Amino acid sequence: MKPLSAISCTVMLLVSITGGILKAEDGEGASTPYFQSYAFNVPILKGWDDQSTDDIAQFQLAEARATIRTATVATSDAVAGAEAELAAITGAAAPQPSYRDKVNLADGTWQVLVYDVDDETTASVMARQAGARVVVISFVERDPAARTALLTLAQADDSLGDASPEIALAAEAIGGLALGELAEVGSETLASGEWVVYTGEGAAAMGMVFGNDSYVALQVGAPGDLAALADAWNRTLLGFFITPDNSRYLALGLAVVIVILGTLVGSLYWRERNLRKDLALLEQLAQEGD
Amino acid sequence: MGDNRKPAAEDLRIDSSPQPRLLKILTIITALGFAGTLALGFAIVGTDIQQGEIQRIFYIHMPSFFGAFTAFGLTVVGGVIYLTRKRETWDRIALAGVEVGLAFSLINLLTGSIWARPIWNTWWTWDPRLTSAAIMCLTYAAYLMLRAGIDDKSKRRAFMSVYGILAFVTVLITLFIIRIVPETIHPVIVGASPQNAQGSFEATSGVATALLPSLLLWLTLMPITLIWHRVRLEARIEALNRLKLQALGG
Repeated sequence: MKPLSAISCTVMLLVSITGGILKAEDGEGASTPYFQSYAFNVPILKGWDDQSTDDIAQFQLAEARATIRTATVATSDAVAGAEAELAAITGAAAPQPSYRDKVNLADGTWQVLVYDVDDETTASVMARQAGARVVVISFVERDPAARTALLTLAQADDSLGDASPEIALAAEAIGGLALGELAEVGSETLASGEWVVYTGEGAAAMGMVFGNDSYVALQVGAPGDLAALADAWNRTLLGFFITPDNSRYLALGLAVVIVILGTLVGSLYWRERNLRKDLALLEQLAQEGD
Repeated sequence: MGDNRKPAAEDLRIDSSPQPRLLKILTIITALGFAGTLALGFAIVGTDIQQGEIQRIFYIHMPSFFGAFTAFGLTVVGGVIYLTRKRETWDRIALAGVEVGLAFSLINLLTGSIWARPIWNTWWTWDPRLTSAAIMCLTYAAYLMLRAGIDDKSKRRAFMSVYGILAFVTVLITLFIIRIVPETIHPVIVGASPQNAQGSFEATSGVATALLPSLLLWLTLMPITLIWHRVRLEARIEALNRLKLQALGG
């Protein structure tokens, strides 16, 4: 019975670990609803119309004429993948990007691109190569009254807990604005984090710091929906990078610790037990020899 | 070894003295301490605002590395003293240090990987710290394989002593690489994080409350207690092997 008990315990441990991995991966029981595909998981945006299909997460906010979409494209070139996605969303060939940069995040290097597709359509895209595919996260706004850009930039000085230097860079690069033309009006706490807010005549900018990167939202035309758009975009990005409901991973980690320590202590016990058995056998053989 | 006389039943005794009182006390304190630090880190201190529940794995991840540091450090001490005094006990300490240190290193590596999946969005990346930690594990796994492959006892002990001393270089590289290589994304908790760190957090009072007891436990009590048990076992295994040889007339 003892070997059977040991086998049962081992099987139960393996099942619990496997279950932990699967549950951690599929986010079952998570309080934030998640879109899940074979390639990625992103949070479902509350208040946005969910137009997702099996492989594409797409959310639309009608009053802002904005779409946030996450998908993969079968190519090995991140920029080509971004342009293919943009063409699929807008129905038009992507023009040359008006802004292009790269940012190194933990899971790889992301291309950060902004396109002025036509007079009323602007797009902000992040794209990263993942094996033979490219993951593309796109924000497209079809609003003739506004031009919105959403950027991720590495912090120039990571000792600052403030995105203002990167807001200045983005304002100049995208809107042709100097930061002096915008006035800091304080901070705003949104679901995605604490944002510093700048406003000016016909323009607004917001920025938040996460890790060593600044997430900047810039809007020229200022119809007043920048906070909602920036928050939704960053919930998508941070939800993509950092799984918010991760207690299953903690359970998995704890299970791994207990299994490894249990194996170490168990091996001491089993070796001691085998030693006693061998010694008993030797004594028996010696007695028979006597 | 040169005695070909087969042992009589009364000769078949190996050291079966009970565990020293101090070892029993250490074992109980270590078990209670482990349970206590788990409760502190996993249930009592607050949840990290940005990272959520998974940040709690840090209360095992970092201390387990320092536990491995102590264990591998004892391997160096055992190796050096064995080479100078040729006493088998020190070789046993060196071996026990590797077994315990390797288990702790695996805990460190795997808990780091599990943390990385929800925070870095990947199970693994070839970051300098992660790569050096993996090389450290492989180096000490190779110690156990090499040791099993050398038949001559004195050669085995001498060779593995030298190996155990040299292998400690991988521990030092793993410890200091995030201070040396700026390209790392691995966070630093004590001191400034490197430019590219992802997933770093402040060592607030809550973090320190859970981290310090865990660190002390893994740094001292856990490796010492486990190594002591393993050294006693190894001594008995070696004695049994000698008896087997005698019984076989070897």
